[in-house]
Amino acid sequence: MIKRLEVDGVPAVLAPASGPMHAGLVFRVGTADEPLARHGLTRLVEHLVTDGLGVDGQQLGSTGAEHTYFHMHGSPGEVADFLTGVCAALRNPPAARLATVRQLLRGTPPDRDPLPMWRHGARGFGVASYPEWALGKLTEEDLREWIARYFTRENAALWVAGEEIPDGLTLDLPSGERRPAPAVPTELPVTPAYFTSAGGAVAWDTVVRREARAAVFATVLERRMMNDLRRRDGISYQPHTEYVPRADGTARILAVADALPERQDAAVGGLIDVLAAMRAGQIDPDEVATVVKLTCEGLRDSELRGARLPGQAFNLLSGREVQSLEEALAEVRSVTVEDVTEVAAAAYQAGLLMTPTGSGADWAGYTAAPEMSENTLPGRAHRGRKDRSLRLISGDDGISVTGHGQVASVRWDECALLLAWPDGGRRMIGLDAVTARVEPTLYRGADRVVREIDARIPARLRIDMPPRDRAAIPQPVAPHREGTWRERWRPQLFLLLFGPFTLLGLTGVVSVLTALGNDGRLDWQALLAGLGLTAFFGWLCVGAIRELLARRAARRR
Amino acid sequence: MLPAMLPRQLDLDPATAYPKITSLRTALDAGDWPACRELLDAADPVERTCLIDAVSDEKGLEDFLRGVLRGDPGDGTAGALLGRHLAVAAWDIRTDARAVHVSREQFAAFRAGLVEAERVLVDAAARSPHDPAIWTTRLLTARGLQLGLSEIRRRYGRLAEIDPHHLPGQQQMLQSLCAKWYGDVAQAYEFAKEAADAAPAGAPNPVLLAIAYIEHSDVVTDTDRIRAELREAAQRSVWHPDFRRTHGWVQVMSTFAMAFGVLGDHPAAASLFDALDGLGSRWPWEYLGDPATTIEKFRARAGGNA
Repeated sequence: MIKRLEVDGVPAVLAPASGPMHAGLVFRVGTADEPLARHGLTRLVEHLVTDGLGVDGQQLGSTGAEHTYFHMHGSPGEVADFLTGVCAALRNPPAARLATVRQLLRGTPPDRDPLPMWRHGARGFGVASYPEWALGKLTEEDLREWIARYFTRENAALWVAGEEIPDGLTLDLPSGERRPAPAVPTELPVTPAYFTSAGGAVAWDTVVRREARAAVFATVLERRMMNDLRRRDGISYQPHTEYVPRADGTARILAVADALPERQDAAVGGLIDVLAAMRAGQIDPDEVATVVKLTCEGLRDSELRGARLPGQAFNLLSGREVQSLEEALAEVRSVTVEDVTEVAAAAYQAGLLMTPTGSGADWAGYTAAPEMSENTLPGRAHRGRKDRSLRLISGDDGISVTGHGQVASVRWDECALLLAWPDGGRRMIGLDAVTARVEPTLYRGADRVVREIDARIPARLRIDMPPRDRAAIPQPVAPHREGTWRERWRPQLFLLLFGPFTLLGLTGVVSVLTALGNDGRLDWQALLAGLGLTAFFGWLCVGAIRELLARRAARRR
Repeated sequence: MLPAMLPRQLDLDPATAYPKITSLRTALDAGDWPACRELLDAADPVERTCLIDAVSDEKGLEDFLRGVLRGDPGDGTAGALLGRHLAVAAWDIRTDARAVHVSREQFAAFRAGLVEAERVLVDAAARSPHDPAIWTTRLLTARGLQLGLSEIRRRYGRLAEIDPHHLPGQQQMLQSLCAKWYGDVAQAYEFAKEAADAAPAGAPNPVLLAIAYIEHSDVVTDTDRIRAELREAAQRSVWHPDFRRTHGWVQVMSTFAMAFGVLGDHPAAASLFDALDGLGSRWPWEYLGDPATTIEKFRARAGGNA
């Protein structure tokens, strides 16, 4: 039975559990709250606060998309000391350790999942797809601001799996306010959608309503993938799904089909077929019954171990009430095969598929997710060096980089992050995740654009990067032309070789005609020869001139 | 060549050997889907796949079948026929020419057509996962869409689970394993041998060895060994007492005849021309030019006189 309490103004859940006491303090903050230019801040707080607490190497904290928590397994005394210590450290962050902890974090970057960026852009849930570029520049001031905003009494919840709240536990947290669930904007105009990624994994995610039947669907899907992709086809060794409930009442379901590089095409096809089959209602009622039974067993087991408590504490933060085991069991037991089919159809419709480079999924009815901007922003254009089809455009609205059918536009007021290299290279990442790469080496007079970017983008959005290797700085390259140099220079050669003969012919004609005035007799043979010479070589030259004019026009276009 | 020597005028219309094609066409022309279903449902799996292929070029099928599917999205037979129809139409745009001879516009239209077909087939396979005709066509679309050999093998695996000796699907698989697509001589032969060996005595499947030879006759040099191998394959198939004249038998014999003809094994070819008694198939003869002319030429060369 879960008891609902309050400890020093922090809402708490308490329930007895087998084994040593386990307790945790959770805050409604995570990577989804971080602007891209502050990405890494929450994890830095988490690690700085637990630095020096507990036993070295113990996992004492965790930063998620929406929740960050500190927890400890141990005796009531150890738990009380730890959580009291966390609150003290939040009051007074050990600033002296900032540089060291930052180094530690840089060495242990979190796994990056590319799907959220494609769905949500460079903000909110999408931020977790990016590297923690900001780590290097985060200051003590940034930390204090972040803590004051999110790590407060009103934005916290406590869980204790044990007989009672441990003696000596003091949650001395600053006062603040409850932070609402992060907004979940989407950048996908049409779903089901797909994108290709060089990373190589095959994965799919979707967003559905947060319900027991959606969790059941996720498990049915995993078992189906296990059966089809592993047992039947031997394509994927450990296909799996994850069900991630979110504070806003939605849930993300992620499905991953790992595969060797030579089997990835089959993993794409196999996953597409599994999803299509479930959407079409090809769901075995026995399978649903089995999953319901297993889920109920899992819930009972979790209850015994106190493992349901963290989730209940998370729920308190999003204004949900504690759900008893009986209520949870009843919700799961009521799930029918029709429920799962309904979720499968909704899940399919909102799906986003990641396929390896070279593959794709348009053939299965998935729409390509937008990977570039729709419009080129107006402004002053700088033409590419050597490759004259490239353009760098700077205007009142923002920057556009175009060429070879690609357009990347980032508006000044929608820039999420600017990466700046000492050599002048700039990378602007828009909130929609479009990246404009400004490499001044590639364009004429681009230094001016770099100065404009530096003046327009505020310092808080700017990350100064360490110097790049010379090899990493792109150099202008002439576009690949079809054909050989001979074809390229053919018109010029024609003019050089045949132009003199044309002139010679013309001179001949003129001289014959001039001679006519002198003695009144026309040298027909000479005239014909001259005309023939002029016509023949002139014709060759006209072709060459036309070719050159056409090329000039093509370059202008 | 004296026409009098020939027993019967050459007839390449599959409907002559398989009257069900005519009945099915009649039912389709009448828009009588229940009659079509009755005919197809009663056919054995290979015959059903072949019938679906045989009528897939009917005009106006798309609107008709989409209507059927709107009424019953779960009608796998309608899905199989619509998918086949769209896929075959797409391949007609591409033509059988090698890739270098296909224009960019043709490729674009070819791909667009295959995408349409495949979208129908994804759904059909989802709803009717045990329909061999659907998986057979999905092998054809996967090849044209360049979905990769591992995906093609996965699809073949699904088909083989349903029917391990489904010759129409095996022919599709073999095409993908040919050097002109995603495989090579060795892979094509390995697949053909395995499928031939696994099939029961008198089954048509050893014809896959004849196809493997025809597809690679320009690179295969060891003709004595090939001839022996093909004769053995024919012994287990078209020359076997248990060989049945079920749907597809004409193309099987005709293919063996062509392989023997190309190899210069005239007696073997002659025995098959005799057994065919004037019947023949356009494929694979069309590889050598106009099928009728070519068959007549080879038949005369073999000296068949049934």
